[in-house]
Amino acid sequence: MKLKATLIATCLLSALYGQTALAAEAGTALKNDTLRKEPYADSKTAGSFTRGENLQILKKQGAWLQVKTKKSTGWVRLLSVKRGTSSSGNQAAGALAVASGRAGTGQVVSTTGVRGLNEEELKAAKFNEIEINKMESYTLSPDDGRRFADAGNLKPIKFANLKAAKGEK
Amino acid sequence: MKSLMINTPRTYNRPNIKSSAKLLIPALLASALGLSSMPVMAFDLQGTLKGAIEKEMPATDTSQTQAPDSTANDNTAANKTSEPEINWKNPSKEEEIALGREIAGNLLGAAPLVKDETLQKYVNSVGRWVASQSERPDLPWHFGVIESEDINAFAAPGGYIMLTKGLYRKLTNEAQLAGVLGHEIGHIVKKHQLKVLQKQQLLNMGAGFLSDKYAKDNKLISKAIGTGAEISARSLDKSAEFEADRLGLSYAARAGYEPYGLPEVLQTIGQTNKNDNSVALLFKTHPHPDDRLVALGDAIGNRLDSIKDGKTLENRFYKLKN
Repeated sequence: MKLKATLIATCLLSALYGQTALAAEAGTALKNDTLRKEPYADSKTAGSFTRGENLQILKKQGAWLQVKTKKSTGWVRLLSVKRGTSSSGNQAAGALAVASGRAGTGQVVSTTGVRGLNEEELKAAKFNEIEINKMESYTLSPDDGRRFADAGNLKPIKFANLKAAKGEK
Repeated sequence: MKSLMINTPRTYNRPNIKSSAKLLIPALLASALGLSSMPVMAFDLQGTLKGAIEKEMPATDTSQTQAPDSTANDNTAANKTSEPEINWKNPSKEEEIALGREIAGNLLGAAPLVKDETLQKYVNSVGRWVASQSERPDLPWHFGVIESEDINAFAAPGGYIMLTKGLYRKLTNEAQLAGVLGHEIGHIVKKHQLKVLQKQQLLNMGAGFLSDKYAKDNKLISKAIGTGAEISARSLDKSAEFEADRLGLSYAARAGYEPYGLPEVLQTIGQTNKNDNSVALLFKTHPHPDDRLVALGDAIGNRLDSIKDGKTLENRFYKLKN
């Protein structure tokens, strides 16, 4: 029964995140970048876009997205594009502000959300011995981790830590 | 004052301390005291310390000019003994863990664990495996999902990592969870929070030494920090967040996961309305997700082009019951 539910969920998810066509989702360029004819770095140029430009996401393939700008269609690296325009619904004009990365910084109003983990709540929090003990009771060993990885057929690979791009700290 | 010597951390005589021994002897006393009155001063952190330390953060060692004002409540809860003693100048792994435990325990005081053992075990499994790919596989890594609809995750020194139920809800596969946990693991590996606490603590010690009256009546100490959960509401350097993103992605990739898990989560978070309460703290304490995506994308370049078999494992991703 559980399995069935999982399967259904899996299908839904692979529809969302797999290599299937997205229903021309709206996107926003996060940086200036070049469009390629094929989803490869050495493929021929098919155009370009600039930061903040609105575009349509047509397809995802591996680490590449096929996008359509006003002028051209081509492939671009996944992280050059942000999915969606601003935020769910009520801020139609916010896409550029968000894409520029300036919205949300410096102007967040201090809130006192009911369920929010706000600063006041964190400040007032008292040490909870029972909960920390419980959390520690779930602690696993490296061997446990390896067994879990094996069960999921996760194969560790060699991969050196990413370094900051030039010009960034 | 003298009797307090008993509480002086055992590492007090380490050679690297000698050079500044003059400063540190009173300072270490302050630290012992500071920690012993922790629960109370947690109430009084915000103004003085936070301001002071935020000013100090970018500089490496300017110290001492920001003496906190001594006026506010001085409810010395002096005789507590459960809090860890820390050699702030050069904390040992054990001290780091003790400090982290204190912070994590306070955070759990604000938001307890979600009562779902399967969930907690699952998150510990993923986290433990990812942590094993880090530079500190030997830490006793602990993971927990906490009862909050906020979207956030927290790391405390020594291997304590918590993410909110609200954030977990946004995830759709195990690779994304691995990326999120990897980010927090990166903070702990690089001791980002620990360094903030150290700076702040040493800063306050310095202030106390310079100004007799603080040292005398302990009022300084009621400002000192700080194993309260409030540290979790504080921002790290932007560069620390970008670094944790790079490390988180790297660890998840090494663990065999599809490496784009973390960027996918950043995409999702970036779509959340910034006025939504659930992201208020996250947005306040982190660079905007869009900036993080760009920085991460620039760091990735073509590094991931050859990784083909990364797993997302949505089929075993644990679904919340409610």
